[in-house]
Amino acid sequence: MSKPALLSLHQALRKSFQSLENNQKIWSSVLADCSPLMVSLGNLAEQSRALSNVQISNTPLRDFPDLEEGLRFKLLQATDTVLVKLNEKMSSLQSVRDSISNQVSAVLQLYEQNTDSLDLLTVTERSATAPSLSDMLEWLQDAERHYRQQFLRRKTLLQTLRADDLSLLEAAPKRWKSLESPNAEDRITDTLCKVSFFIESQ
Amino acid sequence: MEGQSGDVIVTPANRKCSAVTGSARKIKDNAADWHNLMMRWDKLNEEGFNVAGNIVNIKLTRSQSDQLLLVDESSSSSSAGLQQGGGAELQDECCKLQDVINKMVAVVTKMERLMTSQRGIRDLEEFQFGPEGRKFPLFLTWNTKHFEEASRVLLDSFRQELRLKQSILQELAHTATSDLCMVYLSCWLHQPFTPPHTRLTLEALLLETGHRPL
Repeated sequence: MSKPALLSLHQALRKSFQSLENNQKIWSSVLADCSPLMVSLGNLAEQSRALSNVQISNTPLRDFPDLEEGLRFKLLQATDTVLVKLNEKMSSLQSVRDSISNQVSAVLQLYEQNTDSLDLLTVTERSATAPSLSDMLEWLQDAERHYRQQFLRRKTLLQTLRADDLSLLEAAPKRWKSLESPNAEDRITDTLCKVSFFIESQ
Repeated sequence: MEGQSGDVIVTPANRKCSAVTGSARKIKDNAADWHNLMMRWDKLNEEGFNVAGNIVNIKLTRSQSDQLLLVDESSSSSSAGLQQGGGAELQDECCKLQDVINKMVAVVTKMERLMTSQRGIRDLEEFQFGPEGRKFPLFLTWNTKHFEEASRVLLDSFRQELRLKQSILQELAHTATSDLCMVYLSCWLHQPFTPPHTRLTLEALLLETGHRPL
């Protein structure tokens, strides 16, 4: 009686893990694209800082009256370009997060619809090749939470940046790097290994 | 047979292009030259930036070793040797930067020639059609004064930029503070005297003369 429900739930889980695998790859490649952008953001902040520290009228550049204004404008413009690019990357991260969240909530919904026909034994039973339903659902939720939090933290960091606040810009690359959580990423990779036989079955 | 197939290649656009003569031909060629010279400038700028970066690096490592020298007198002989090596390297890089700037001077000289030619065309038009110039525009909407104006905007930015780069060359290797070095480098890279307006002017020039499709 519970057979069809179990089968369709397995099918949905397979699909979710496959999509998780693809999305994990996209996520890390987008993040890899972000790091050079963060580096150049830090560089530009450093240049602006140097410009503020130097009194142009006391240097050999005093013959160029419009220099400071022009250079500051150019630096701001370059900073702006980098921030625009970073925001584009954030949209890619957001679509990864959305795709994972949608998949996971669909699987959970399917499970909840079928709770009556799934007894405790079916939910917790595992075999040599397939982890139990409850484990897999838990792993999916863990992964979903990880990407949701990661996205929010990175988005918040970018939103607090302002082109005219140098200390924030200077600290940004470091803060960006500190958001990395290799443990969580490793756990997701582990999960994908654990379910690899299950994904391949049937 | 071959001559015939050669004829086929002449598209309407090509024919129209080859039909452009006189002032229009000259202005169109000048616009193309502006584009090419600015591309060349960008390439030189990049080349020069790498050299300038090297100079600053050598300079900063040397000032660090100078400080070490003050702290530790005993190892002075080896440090002096290292310093001399750094000196030769520094001289080398400065020569390279001088080369780049010489090439930039050549670019700006060519730009000045373009400006002269543009002024000549305006004078000619005034002679031919009176002080208001010709009644119908040569291309889309611009009259000859517009072209001269655009050339002047471009020339002015690059003249300023060249002057700035010459000052940077003079000072870069004699600068002790890292902040000022950084300012020189970012001046070189970001070119404060060529605002976005300069690029727009070039694009407008190319659009008007038909190098860029409408």
